[in-house]
Amino acid sequence: MSEGSQGLLLAGVGGQGVILASMIVADALMRAGHDVKQSEVHGMAQRGGSVFSHIRWGERVDSPLVPLGSAEVLAAFEWAEAVRWVEYVRDGGAVVADVRTIVPPGACNDHRSWLRRYPGIDGELFDSRHLKTRLIDATATAEELGNVRAANSVILGTVAAFIDIDNKHWEAAIAHLVPKGTEEINLAAFRIGRDVAEARVPQTAPDPEGFSGPHQIEINHVWCKGCDICSRVCPEYCLAVDVDGKLTIIDAEACTGCKLCEALCPDFAIEISAPREPAVVGNQAAADGSTL
Amino acid sequence: MTDVKTYLREWAMPHVLCPGCAHGIVLRSFLNAVDQLQIDQDKLAMVAGIGCSSRLVGYVDFCTLHGTHGRAPAFATGLKLARPDLKVVVVTGDGDALAIGGNHLIHAARRNIDITVLLLNNSIYGMTGGQAAPTTPEGALASTTPAGNTEPNFDACKLLMGAGASFVARVLAANPMDMTKVMADGLDHPGFSFIEVISDCPEYFGRYNKVGGGAEMLTWMSVRDEGVAGPLAEKRFVNHIPIESVPSGMETGVLQREIRPVYAGVRKVEDHES
Repeated sequence: MSEGSQGLLLAGVGGQGVILASMIVADALMRAGHDVKQSEVHGMAQRGGSVFSHIRWGERVDSPLVPLGSAEVLAAFEWAEAVRWVEYVRDGGAVVADVRTIVPPGACNDHRSWLRRYPGIDGELFDSRHLKTRLIDATATAEELGNVRAANSVILGTVAAFIDIDNKHWEAAIAHLVPKGTEEINLAAFRIGRDVAEARVPQTAPDPEGFSGPHQIEINHVWCKGCDICSRVCPEYCLAVDVDGKLTIIDAEACTGCKLCEALCPDFAIEISAPREPAVVGNQAAADGSTL
Repeated sequence: MTDVKTYLREWAMPHVLCPGCAHGIVLRSFLNAVDQLQIDQDKLAMVAGIGCSSRLVGYVDFCTLHGTHGRAPAFATGLKLARPDLKVVVVTGDGDALAIGGNHLIHAARRNIDITVLLLNNSIYGMTGGQAAPTTPEGALASTTPAGNTEPNFDACKLLMGAGASFVARVLAANPMDMTKVMADGLDHPGFSFIEVISDCPEYFGRYNKVGGGAEMLTWMSVRDEGVAGPLAEKRFVNHIPIESVPSGMETGVLQREIRPVYAGVRKVEDHES
């Protein structure tokens, strides 16, 4: 690592404004007289993929990449990204994370094991390494301000508490870089982020949107003519027509409720309805408002 | 959303159509569109002539009128003039509308009568035994063209645009969600709206032309649409359909939409715009 330099990592998913936030950080640091190098990766970002950015600053910086276990601060705009990048933070460093979760389509699709795949919130992960942790619901804060897209400014506000530069540099950088007309709301979001207390967080990952268990498949055998369309369009291989031409459910558990079979049944013979009882996902604690 | 079955005459089901016939998919999408617009069942009249597609009116719980072959647009014109408060929908087939009743269709379009016409194009005369229709593609096999059809076929949408229809759209039975959206747009349009639905006939067209049953026919119509041909070819259920064996691409979606005076002022243009 270059002499006397410090590192910051920003991570989120496509569309959250990670790159803009990273430009603001770099701009603010330069305004404060630091040498700054910044690098970003946004490969599959448009499909909700991971976006991250390394920033290093100091008297002289040779490479933008923050080595493992040396970042001063991790700013995570999404929960799984916080878990993914926490290794980069030095012991005793800081983690600022939005507690909102954005479950990628891949994890949703794997409906039988998504709970295992999407990381639950694990306080020990942070406590054991003496990390200064700030968990905030930046998305909700920004929504209250009237523009959910200002969530990145809320996170930046909290991040600013861990970076030793004058506040005027932050505000100048934000006013300079955010889209015209949104300066006020972003500055307001930044100030809230700076003053934010630790937020209440769910104990486990919440239910991914749109999936709460296998759906109910109902077949009207009197109307069904066994044309085989449904079984061949089903992405989850739930249905099959047996040798007698009778439609049968071969994997009821796999139904995700996409309703392709229902929409393409010419005989009105299939009906898909929401699960009878909501699946138990173990986030009752979140509903009760308990904290870590 | 209401269960679409509330719009069905359940006592009449199951319907008469062959296994895999996409007309049923079209009917469901239409009922979804009606549900979306929250049209009163007693304020919607469905008018049909003769043919497989025209049989659909027997299964829906609206006001229905089953007329003579090809004359559904004429019946609908009279009905709309007598009862302007009704929403009038014609369900017709390619033979019914383009061969037997071609004149009635184009003149209803020219007058801009405030009705909606759904033309279910299955490229063949299905009910009477698979004879070649004006929409049978060149080279396709039918019971009357055992060596392949030698005549060029109609492009119904171009015909209707030429006749002055103020709303013209083409949708595929394989894309039920798009279909519902376009049908809702068409039902809402003030003036003559024409929606050609590329449906299918697995029993005759699919069998004669060795395309296959319902699932294969849906795929086949999708690969005719340029926009979806590529992505669909990679799907599991279309693997065995050679892309080069299907006809050239068709344009789908809303092809024409304009506001012009409605016949007899049944619904004033200003009303719609305000």
